[in-house]
Amino acid sequence: MRSIDKLFENSARALARRTSRRSLLAALGQVLTGAALIPLLPVDRSARAAEPVASPANAHAKLKPATDDPKSCDYWKYCAVDGFLCSCCGGSSNSCPPGTTPSPITWIGTCHNPADARDYIVSYNDCCGKVSCGNCECNRNEREKPMYRPSRNNDLNWCMANADSNYHCSVSVILGVAEL
Amino acid sequence: MGISMKTMIVQAALLSLAAGAPVFAATPAAPPLTAEHLTVTAMPPDNPHRIYVLDEAFFNEIDSRVHLFDGDTYARLGQIDSGFTPGFNLSPDGKSTVVATTYFSRGSRGTRTDLVEFTDNQTLKTTHEIVLPSKRAMTLPSYFNLGFSADSHFLYVSYITPAASFGVLDPAKYSVIDEIDTAGCVLVIPSGANRVSSICESGSLLTVTLDAQGHEASRAFSEVFFDPDKDPIFAQGVPMTNGYAFLSFLGQVHEVDFSGAQPAFHKPWPLVAAADKGHWRPGGYQVGAIHRRLNRLYVPMHQGGEGTHKDGGTEIWVFDMATHERVARWPLAPHKLPTVLALQVSQDDAPLLFAATDTSDIAVFDALTGQLRHVEKKLGQTAWLILNH
Repeated sequence: MRSIDKLFENSARALARRTSRRSLLAALGQVLTGAALIPLLPVDRSARAAEPVASPANAHAKLKPATDDPKSCDYWKYCAVDGFLCSCCGGSSNSCPPGTTPSPITWIGTCHNPADARDYIVSYNDCCGKVSCGNCECNRNEREKPMYRPSRNNDLNWCMANADSNYHCSVSVILGVAEL
Repeated sequence: MGISMKTMIVQAALLSLAAGAPVFAATPAAPPLTAEHLTVTAMPPDNPHRIYVLDEAFFNEIDSRVHLFDGDTYARLGQIDSGFTPGFNLSPDGKSTVVATTYFSRGSRGTRTDLVEFTDNQTLKTTHEIVLPSKRAMTLPSYFNLGFSADSHFLYVSYITPAASFGVLDPAKYSVIDEIDTAGCVLVIPSGANRVSSICESGSLLTVTLDAQGHEASRAFSEVFFDPDKDPIFAQGVPMTNGYAFLSFLGQVHEVDFSGAQPAFHKPWPLVAAADKGHWRPGGYQVGAIHRRLNRLYVPMHQGGEGTHKDGGTEIWVFDMATHERVARWPLAPHKLPTVLALQVSQDDAPLLFAATDTSDIAVFDALTGQLRHVEKKLGQTAWLILNH
């Protein structure tokens, strides 16, 4: 339990550095209650950005550049995804594919939406219980940290605590605006 | 069942005749091929140019494997299966491979079993296993997922649930001795006969010292030796004499001496000149290799900004660890090689540098000159870690 306390303390500290108290509490509350699975905004319709947030140089991310396409690795919400996009696996950017189970624990990123020029806190839940989807591999690591900062790390299998911890794909769920 | 022995013999003879007919037609004087005996190939003797390449099999991740490859003959020697998101390491004497992995009872689903498997590197038979609590760290492979004490009496396995701890195992009795909480610090960095260090979010190391039975005797946190916000280190180390070199995202080298009771930190030094800082960076999944006698550090380097720390190298830079000077710069484009994600170097006097590319090819270089000797195509689908003895 000491480690769990430490983890959440550290996660909270890390978030607090980047967010206001209000948005921090809102974000943490959603993560802890599982409400993180319900997006706050009509994400896909609101994203009408014209330019890529960043162009991933990694050869793994050989997807067409289109920031308004949730099946593209360049979609703005995917700024710290390392895995397979659930949008290409029967789900969507915020919905797990049929027959899989969302991970209740996640890593968190802050992505910039060029459409409204806001930064958003994004929860990257994994979808679990089937073997890796294998479609639309996406490897972006903006502000991603190594695993000694687990709440910001995308190398861990976040299905680890699921009853069936097999990793299938990853979603990106908006938690709120990052009020810097 | 319904065919008589006589019929079978006649059919076999006819088949043999049919198969052999063209041969007789081409070379009527040549004797027929002799009957073959089915055998199992024996592993060749170990040599310093044998490498163990972990294919994470990311596209069907329950099916990872370790490929054994010979850098002299370019032969694929065999395979050790390694399950789902494994850690793997070699025993200090190089005779065994240990794999920490997870299996599901129905293949891709069902009851989860975490375990460590021991494989004899001369037979490639899995000889023993130790079943673990379902806590094993499922993450990228590195030297620090599991590892032996220097005297091989203990084997340590990193746990993340996401609460962090590690298991102490007895590799002689094939049993779990204890689980030790690490206060949020992660991974296992063995040193000496009874010490395990873990990397902490604050930028320090936690070192737990064990008693003779493998239980915690004491613990201490080190000073903070890197800034996890401004310039985090990769959560992996490059083995060097008496310790590990930890590279940072911006290219600082933090050499840590683990030979004493507590880790000792050398003054960090840069891979990148001040003018190039933040533009050229180390990156990939295994971001360096050191030839310990030559004191040479090899690093895959690329041009990129924040968030490119997993991008492979477009060049391999070579440094003298004593002077901190860059002594060579080997671009990969002239060889038409894609970016390099993992590096390893043999420790002998005619060293080879092994580079796993983004397309899972293994390039073999002369580690003294940078001359490309061979490219082994597609050693698996996602080769992310290369170990050797």
